[in-house]
Amino acid sequence: MGDKLRVGISDFQVARAPDILVSYGLGSCLGIVLYDARLQLGGLAHSLLPGARLGGVESRPAKHVEGAIRLMVEKLLAAGSDLRYLTAKLAGGANMFESLNPGAEEGIGARNISMGRKVLAQMEIPLLAEDVGGQHGRTIEFDLATGLLRVRSLRVGEITI
Amino acid sequence: MTLVPLNDVQLDALKEISNIGMGHAATALSQLIGQTVHLKVPRITIADIADMPELVGGAEEVVVGITLQIFGDARGTILLIFPRESATQLLVRLVGKKPEDLIFDELSASALKELGNILASAYLSALGGLLHMTLIPSIPLLAYDMAGAVVDNVLIELSQEGDLALMVETEFHGQSPDDEVIRGHFMILPDPRTLDVLLEAGKGSYGG
Repeated sequence: MGDKLRVGISDFQVARAPDILVSYGLGSCLGIVLYDARLQLGGLAHSLLPGARLGGVESRPAKHVEGAIRLMVEKLLAAGSDLRYLTAKLAGGANMFESLNPGAEEGIGARNISMGRKVLAQMEIPLLAEDVGGQHGRTIEFDLATGLLRVRSLRVGEITI
Repeated sequence: MTLVPLNDVQLDALKEISNIGMGHAATALSQLIGQTVHLKVPRITIADIADMPELVGGAEEVVVGITLQIFGDARGTILLIFPRESATQLLVRLVGKKPEDLIFDELSASALKELGNILASAYLSALGGLLHMTLIPSIPLLAYDMAGAVVDNVLIELSQEGDLALMVETEFHGQSPDDEVIRGHFMILPDPRTLDVLLEAGKGSYGG
């Protein structure tokens, strides 16, 4: 049994089997996992916002979906992975307060999701599965031995993607 | 970091202003539920945004969150967090029934939002009166889920400015020994740019 490594807001971690990467209570935040099945190596990021604000220098690049994916890829490559073997999954991006953003399309959760898909597509990393959107919070556990992502929520129960 | 570190005088002023404002909110709550509500002296913390879910009991704790925007001469966000059991107790007093599982019917949701509205309005009118500012609450929004998920929506706006949030927070609790205690967190998160405005106005009221 490996360690359960906790990934907080605006943070990311890279680890290997048998470790498990966990992030608790994702609302409109997006959880992004990248995995190299060959090496049982992967990473999990917990990002608040889609992209960096204009002209801003971020002290925590993983705060943004875009920065988080790029940083994680960098770290995975440094750990011996190869871009060709990486796959991705996404979870989160909900809209927690029902009428905060009347057009759900405009909501921050939805923007996080579309940014995640876009950056993955640009980097040609296949997106294998996702459990995104809705109005409920999620806790995610990423098992680096199997590459499976367990998504737990109060309303929907537990699913594995 | 966009938040200017506050000196002791400024912190005291902010604490005093909030104490009065939250006192009004607690009185409003007492009247609403017909039970004395006690307040702790507000704490003023400059917290890392990443630590916020822990401050309200842990990211996976099931809570009711009610949030309102502050408009007018100052901007910011008010966030009320009630643990699940306390929200249930509140509903028993407000509408006379418990919610089933994780679903609120329209009446219960509306009662909790109204509660948020009353507390926020009491706080803002006291604060505004003290500072000679017009402060208006937006309509309240409600979420019932894991604390981490409830809080992160609110943090997003702040996180665009920096990684720290100034938080004025208090806990309140009811008193009757035979009842389950009602607890809650009342948090004010001024926009970083608004903080200066608040402190400046506070100076006038307290002579420095």
